[in-house]
Amino acid sequence: MRGVFTSVAALALAALGGASLALADEKPIVIGATTPIQVQVGRDTVDALQLAIDEINGKGGVLGRKLKLAVADETMDPQQGVAAIKKLTADEHVDVLIGGYSSGVTLAEEPHIAEAKTIYLDVGSASPSITDFVKKSYKRYKYVFRVNPINAPRQADQLVGFTTGKLKSELGYNTMAIVGENAKWVQDLAPVLKAGMEKGGIKVPMMELFDPDMSDFSPLLSKIKESGAQYLIVILSHANSDVFVKQWYDAKFPMPIGGIDVKGQDPDFFQRIGGKAIAETVSLGMLAEPVTPKTMPFWNGFTGKYHRPPVYTAPGAYDALYIYTEAVARAKSTDPDKVIPELEKTKYLGTQGTYEFDQQHDVKPGPGLINLLFVQWQDGGKRVIVWPKEQANGKMISPPWINQRAEAK
Amino acid sequence: MFNILVYGAVTSAIYAMLAVGFTLIFGVARILNLAHGAFYGLGAYAAYVLTSQLHWPLLPAAVAAVAFVAVFGAVMERVLVRPLRGSGLAVLMITLAVALLFEQGMFILFGSEARNVPAFITATWTYSGLDISGQRLLTLGAGIGVLALLYLFIQRTRLGTAILAISQDPEGAQYMGIPANRMYSVVMGLSAAIAATAGVLTAPFLTVQPTMDLLPMVKAFAIVIVGGLGSIPGSILAALLLGYSETIVAYTFSPAWTEIVSLIAVLLTLILRPAGLLGKRAAF
Repeated sequence: MRGVFTSVAALALAALGGASLALADEKPIVIGATTPIQVQVGRDTVDALQLAIDEINGKGGVLGRKLKLAVADETMDPQQGVAAIKKLTADEHVDVLIGGYSSGVTLAEEPHIAEAKTIYLDVGSASPSITDFVKKSYKRYKYVFRVNPINAPRQADQLVGFTTGKLKSELGYNTMAIVGENAKWVQDLAPVLKAGMEKGGIKVPMMELFDPDMSDFSPLLSKIKESGAQYLIVILSHANSDVFVKQWYDAKFPMPIGGIDVKGQDPDFFQRIGGKAIAETVSLGMLAEPVTPKTMPFWNGFTGKYHRPPVYTAPGAYDALYIYTEAVARAKSTDPDKVIPELEKTKYLGTQGTYEFDQQHDVKPGPGLINLLFVQWQDGGKRVIVWPKEQANGKMISPPWINQRAEAK
Repeated sequence: MFNILVYGAVTSAIYAMLAVGFTLIFGVARILNLAHGAFYGLGAYAAYVLTSQLHWPLLPAAVAAVAFVAVFGAVMERVLVRPLRGSGLAVLMITLAVALLFEQGMFILFGSEARNVPAFITATWTYSGLDISGQRLLTLGAGIGVLALLYLFIQRTRLGTAILAISQDPEGAQYMGIPANRMYSVVMGLSAAIAATAGVLTAPFLTVQPTMDLLPMVKAFAIVIVGGLGSIPGSILAALLLGYSETIVAYTFSPAWTEIVSLIAVLLTLILRPAGLLGKRAAF
């Protein structure tokens, strides 16, 4: 009797073992989202990934395996960022990491990403230092790619295009002040921007970086006013641009503002600050305009599912996941050593344009590739593309207390 | 020059409103209230909820927000602080816990984004090249008004006299039949109301965020150390001193340097005159 039991048990065990072997083949591919989930950029990263995962799983997954999402809150604190990477790689054993917002956090995470030998697709941090690692030590840091946004100096180049092409040539602004928050990506961006603007014939009498925690901007605004500039270029992401723009409006500040204002990209920004963003022009990766055939399906899918328009990390994360899964399909494996060469060959038409990576795994900007749009907040919170010229769908306006400038043809 | 005069006055008025409540509750009840910044933040968030979410008109919303925070302060004293009053350290910890609870609560309820509270006055005045928003001038005026009312309340009313008596000699006052515990609740409520007033008034032009309580807390602390813990005139003097020093530094050097001003003032005070400008004895 006892012998029968053992043999039955042995059979059962064998069967179980076989079953688990069969299951192992269909183990899901785990996508690790590392992002500050307390803020919109983070929530949109997670939600856009989920949207892409649902779409891909709906079509049967990749290599016959389903995708699964694991999320870690990296906050805006480098220590928490490192903890998030460790949680996702050591505990959750993710196959790929997608996320990032604060460049300081991403930079702190990088050595740990390299250590874990896990592919990392940045969809939010802009500092060029992030992909400089790949150039400096390819063998160690080849896992790191930036899908989104285009890096800070390259954003500066596009901003130079807007200031010289639109503001100077078409509207006749010759003197501009630059202010930005004192953060890594702005330290990388501002000098490139200033040099480019000066090369384009624009006088820059003032460039100042201020503390991102500042909440009373009146001394700063008064200094800018004294600089004699005609236009104010801002470079803001972590800083309190809600308050900055409100104080600019309340003071009836004698120059228009525009530039890179990440909070100003939020779809509810205009309404959130009581319409005071009127005539502010901000750079944007995408808008509800058919930039590519994939833009509107993504936009409608996202807004339909989450009932809010996406911010810049969302199209980045969505496209990043497709880029990754296509590379996995080509490599027929999730082994990073096989996927990385495929990622390097990426030529993917996504929601914002065509993605290609340069030698140090940074997304390439330019016509036909990924471009920034310059979008102005106009009456009633409408967003109008004013630059680049080919994509513009309306005229630029001045704030109500400043005389309208005629656009030179 | 003129802008320093005006902006310095506005900053000083905000600081004075933050500091008098903080020093009052210390002077009367010996409570070092680390939740004082949370009162300020709670006032701003209450105004946000009432105006932006429940669509109340501004004035009733502001009054209700201040009243709500006053009740919150009084209840906090009764329920959380009073049972622990025997130990200064325990009071410090429980008020710190309230401050952290405020931050996390606001995070969960409203997220980390800044919130908008509409301004009472949207007009902007221009005078000799300086544009100043009406809301800032209102804050200045209201600050002076609040301090004047506080002075009258303490000097001219029976309740105020009772509070003064307790601050001078708690035991003696109790022998005279003044209910000390009830007074402490009243003073905490009053202190919370003044901080909330500052929060409601500055919310339209400063920030409304979960972490907004920290900086006012630090400022209030710095001011009462410089002015002398427990001394209301000392706090007002120190508020003017710091408000103007910071504004001068911001305009003549860089806004990036302002935060260090109050810290240097605290260091100098603790070294040179530990009791503060108008304090009678060192509090620490």
